Amino acid sequence: MSTKNEYMLLFVGNEWYNELSHAEIKKIADQAKTWLDGLMERGCAKIGHGLARDGARVAAKTGRVITDGPFAETKEAIGGYLIVEAGSLEEAIAIAKTNPTIPYGTTIEIRPVNRGIEDCPLYRRLQELEQEPATAQA
Amino acid sequence: MLIFRGTDWYKGLSAEEMQQVGDQWMAWFKGLMASGQAVAGNPLEREGKIISGKNGRVVSDGPFAESKETIGGYFLLKVNTLDDAVAIAQQCPGLPYGIRVEVRPVAGECPLVEQLRGEAQLAER
Repeated sequence: MSTKNEYMLLFVGNEWYNELSHAEIKKIADQAKTWLDGLMERGCAKIGHGLARDGARVAAKTGRVITDGPFAETKEAIGGYLIVEAGSLEEAIAIAKTNPTIPYGTTIEIRPVNRGIEDCPLYRRLQELEQEPATAQA
Repeated sequence: MLIFRGTDWYKGLSAEEMQQVGDQWMAWFKGLMASGQAVAGNPLEREGKIISGKNGRVVSDGPFAESKETIGGYFLLKVNTLDDAVAIAQQCPGLPYGIRVEVRPVAGECPLVEQLRGEAQLAER
C-alpha cells in the first residue's frame, strides 16, 4: 500500500511575467516545463492545470454571480494548480521550492488533500462535537 | 474548476445542522460525479505552508483555519460553458452559510505560453 499523500500546490500571483522580455519569459517557461517533466518522470505530479484569467464568483448568502472577477493582475489570484504525491508535507514543500518561477514573484500554497470527501474537516469537527460531553456545549 | 472559499462557516452551526449540510454536500458531489459533470473533487486540510520570495526562502504558516478567504476544497468539472459551471456552483449547499465559490475555466494551454505566443506575434509585426 502506498504511504504517499497528495498535496495541492496552488500557484498564486498572476501576470508576474508582464514586465519581462520575450527572452526572459521563454527561459522561465522552458525551465518550468523541465521542472514539470522531471516531476512527471518521477511520478510525483498527478494532475494540474493552468487556470484561465476569466471566470466568475458566486457570493455567499446572496448567491449573486459576479463575472468580472479580478482574476488577472491581482497578487492573490490563483494562476494554476498541481497535485503532487509526496511522503510528507515537508517533502511537498521541497518539491514546491524547486519551482523556477518563485524568484519572479509566484507564491505557492501547499495544502494536504483529504483522501475523500467523507474525510473532510467538517465531518471530523462533527465527530469531535459528538465526543464532547454535553456540558461542554452548554 | 470550482474553488470553495471560506473555512470558518460551520463554527456557529449545531451538530445537526453540520450533519445536514455535510450530507447535502456529499449528495450534491456524488450526483455530479454520477452524471459525469464532476471528474474530481476533494476537501483540503486546514493546514499547509506558503512559500515565496527569492529561491523560495520564505516559508510561512498560512491562516488556513477559520478564514473567509482560505480555500476549503475544490471540484473539477467537465461542462460545456462557464454558465453551466456557474449554475452548478449556485447549487452549493454551503452558500447560505458563508462559503463563496470561485468558478475558473481550466486553461487549454498554460497562460504563460499564451503570453509568449502573443509577444512573438507582436515581435513579428
